Amino acid sequence: MLRQVVISCLIALAVLPAAARTRPHYGGTLRIEVEGDPWKVPDGIAWSLVHDGLTRMDSNGTAIPALAVRWETQNDNHRWQFWLRPNVQFHSGWPLKPSTVVLSLSGSCRADAGCPWTTVHAVGTSIVFTSDSPMPNLPALLSGNGYLIGQAESEEGKALPGSVGTGPFHFVGLQNGAETFEANEGSWQGRPFVDKIEIFSHKSIHDQWLDLSVGRADIVEVPAEQLRVAQQQHLTLLTSPPVTLLALAVADSSLLSNPNIRGAIALAVDRSALSNVIFQKQGEVTASLLPSALTGYSFLFPIERDLNKAHEMRGGLATPALTLAADNSATMQLAAQRLALNLHEAGFNVQVANAATAQHKDLALIQLTLASGQPQSSLESMLRSVGVSTPVIENTPAGLYKTEHEFLETHTLIPLLYLPRAYAVSGRVRDLRLSASGSPLLADVSLQDAQ
Amino acid sequence: MKLACIIAMVIGSLTGFAVQAQSTAPSPWQQPAATLAEQVAALLGPGQAQLTIRNLSTIPTEQIPALRRLLSQELKVHGVLTSGAESANIVRVTLSENARERLLVAEVVEGDESRVTMVRLDPGKAPQPQSAGGLTLRRQAIFTTSDQVLAALETPNGLVLIEPEEIVFLARTPDGWHEQKRVGIGQTRPITRDPRAMIYLSADAGGFEAFTAGEVCTGSFQHASPPADWSVHCRESDDPWTIVQPPVMQTGTEAQAATQMNIGVTPIKAFYNAARNYFTGVINGSSGVDLPPFYVATQLVRSAATMPLLAGGIDGKIQTLENGKLRTVTGTRDWGSDFAVLHSGCGTGMQVVASGSGAATSDSLRAYELPAQEAIPASAALAMGGTVTASWTEPEGKSVMAVVRMQAPVGQAEQYEVDRVTASCN
Repeated sequence: MLRQVVISCLIALAVLPAAARTRPHYGGTLRIEVEGDPWKVPDGIAWSLVHDGLTRMDSNGTAIPALAVRWETQNDNHRWQFWLRPNVQFHSGWPLKPSTVVLSLSGSCRADAGCPWTTVHAVGTSIVFTSDSPMPNLPALLSGNGYLIGQAESEEGKALPGSVGTGPFHFVGLQNGAETFEANEGSWQGRPFVDKIEIFSHKSIHDQWLDLSVGRADIVEVPAEQLRVAQQQHLTLLTSPPVTLLALAVADSSLLSNPNIRGAIALAVDRSALSNVIFQKQGEVTASLLPSALTGYSFLFPIERDLNKAHEMRGGLATPALTLAADNSATMQLAAQRLALNLHEAGFNVQVANAATAQHKDLALIQLTLASGQPQSSLESMLRSVGVSTPVIENTPAGLYKTEHEFLETHTLIPLLYLPRAYAVSGRVRDLRLSASGSPLLADVSLQDAQ
Repeated sequence: MKLACIIAMVIGSLTGFAVQAQSTAPSPWQQPAATLAEQVAALLGPGQAQLTIRNLSTIPTEQIPALRRLLSQELKVHGVLTSGAESANIVRVTLSENARERLLVAEVVEGDESRVTMVRLDPGKAPQPQSAGGLTLRRQAIFTTSDQVLAALETPNGLVLIEPEEIVFLARTPDGWHEQKRVGIGQTRPITRDPRAMIYLSADAGGFEAFTAGEVCTGSFQHASPPADWSVHCRESDDPWTIVQPPVMQTGTEAQAATQMNIGVTPIKAFYNAARNYFTGVINGSSGVDLPPFYVATQLVRSAATMPLLAGGIDGKIQTLENGKLRTVTGTRDWGSDFAVLHSGCGTGMQVVASGSGAATSDSLRAYELPAQEAIPASAALAMGGTVTASWTEPEGKSVMAVVRMQAPVGQAEQYEVDRVTASCN
């Protein structure tokens, strides 16, 4: 019951309260500060400003039309046909054509587990996907940031930067140290309310909060482990439900190809300590891939640490030193150190390294983002992001549980915590909402002082 | 001793939790319990088992004993006796839930083996918020849909909804509203992010006129004919929108009395900025003086000679325009940008019902008296359960209609509710 109350509270927080309800105003410049790179693939905040997908997800977790107005499936989900929205233009003025979409989508297939489809080609005003495996979740998967549509080539066939899309804002360039975006007057979804967005990147959290306090920023980041501090400082917060899965990826090679060793690692991690100490109790301890709020069955995956059983499963095998890679952020490095300590207590010798420079990674502390509020496509998307390309066919809770259970039994990925995403905002920001993946929906934001 | 672990999960509907197990009415647990028992028995086979129940959901704990009794009975029917406290087999039932539904989960433990089955339950219904105060506002839901509604018009046997891209006709039936027909509005320009529309009964009450950004639609209907036979024609137009409705010729004593209240109200039209979400301020049919850009305007009828125009500017100011003079109304600090006149017959007889709240996701409506240039609260705030996106006065003047975008938890579809708000005098 407590968990449900917490979930309800978080959901309530996912829409920014406003002092008084008036219709949104047009105009003004929205200033955002971020710690990372706004163009980071695929989750950087800039991508969804300038691009649209063939589909998008509604608040119910259902794929709804975006650049595609309708779609049909044939041959038991082995073939899908999507018809493009007419009269849509890229920011360059170039019309949205099936051939451009095919080129863009083909470029999306280079990372991770590739694409769900085997071939994609244009047929008239439509796009046709085919695959040897069924693709029941294709409309939902196409709403993801990995499959946003960009114009890759100019009319003359010259390569264009990845910033030319059909989205609500067009990229102007770097101006006064900020990635600058202006409202797309011809956006098929309607012109956004603000005239301009400035994103200042590579700002420390400290500097972001300082700029917010003196009115130099409107939206800044709040890492989960600093939510409590932000509350104490009375920042106006917008917090998502738990959407970021912190997990330990375990290589299936050399010593770790032994499933008992991987199982021992899974039993040795102390999720509660990680949550309490590093993340200040802001996460939801989990041993499942999808959060409880999506499935209701995550309690079936035990979260308790069992050192005795871990020792038993390791079987007294002498293990060489393992490398645990993590992002170079202070929090991720601290979390990795904590996990190394857990594993040491189970007889493993683990050294922590920077993920960007590590030559070899036996273990990696990674973050996976929930793609949508729909469990079936979210699970497939999550499995794809760790290199598992098998489609998730089952859509019943029992079937989803079975799919998760079978994958997690391999212990190649050990879920640890689900963390919320949070932002602090200035008093002039109106109607900021977060997507199912915790990203701010900036096209619907308006500014209180704009006229 | 060999142990097998069988996990069975059954998810079924749990609506109507208030029904007590002792009641003679059918228990809401009956069907889920039967399904669960059947599936558990299929996995476990006849024999003894321990039955435990835990509750991780918002289902009231006092409901658990009833469920336990039902489960025991149903399991017994299938040959599973739950009195075996010393049995190695355990049936562990968990009441759980996610954002969409409640779950009934049973883990059947028989050694190390695990299996799973599930059935869904209906979500519970939220209680209707209540209102209180001097003059009391009441809210009645007319229609709920997952499609965005911009405006609506109720007729004796039908309902016309204006959606961003379509006009929808619904027929009234004993089972509720049934959709009859959809007609595309046919906009050629992109729809704005805060789309708006207005719809009015035509002067002879035999049709309607609807305005959306860049389009005007006229429809005709015969009250005796079903909405499926109604017709509508839309055309591109930058003509001004009707913002104050002239008297509608209706029949019947009550309708005539209502029409009397509007006598003297002159039709007023205003130009709408089709690329934004507000009126430009240029109006016709008034005293020749324009308003600053505004979101909403209506006409107050204080007397036959005093009928100022009340407008909510995009700068947040509420002003009256009378005899060519703009004057600010005080006491409107809490007002949002939607309001409509209500001829309640209480107090001075007429109030303004204004949206406004502390949070955009939980709007309320409140009635105000405007005897002069100060808005005086005349009712308690009526919580609307979401964001009021439009409101307008119904043709007879005695009620206000509102469109509310209902709050939806993550994983549930956003709903739009068309509500009728009426007042009773205390």
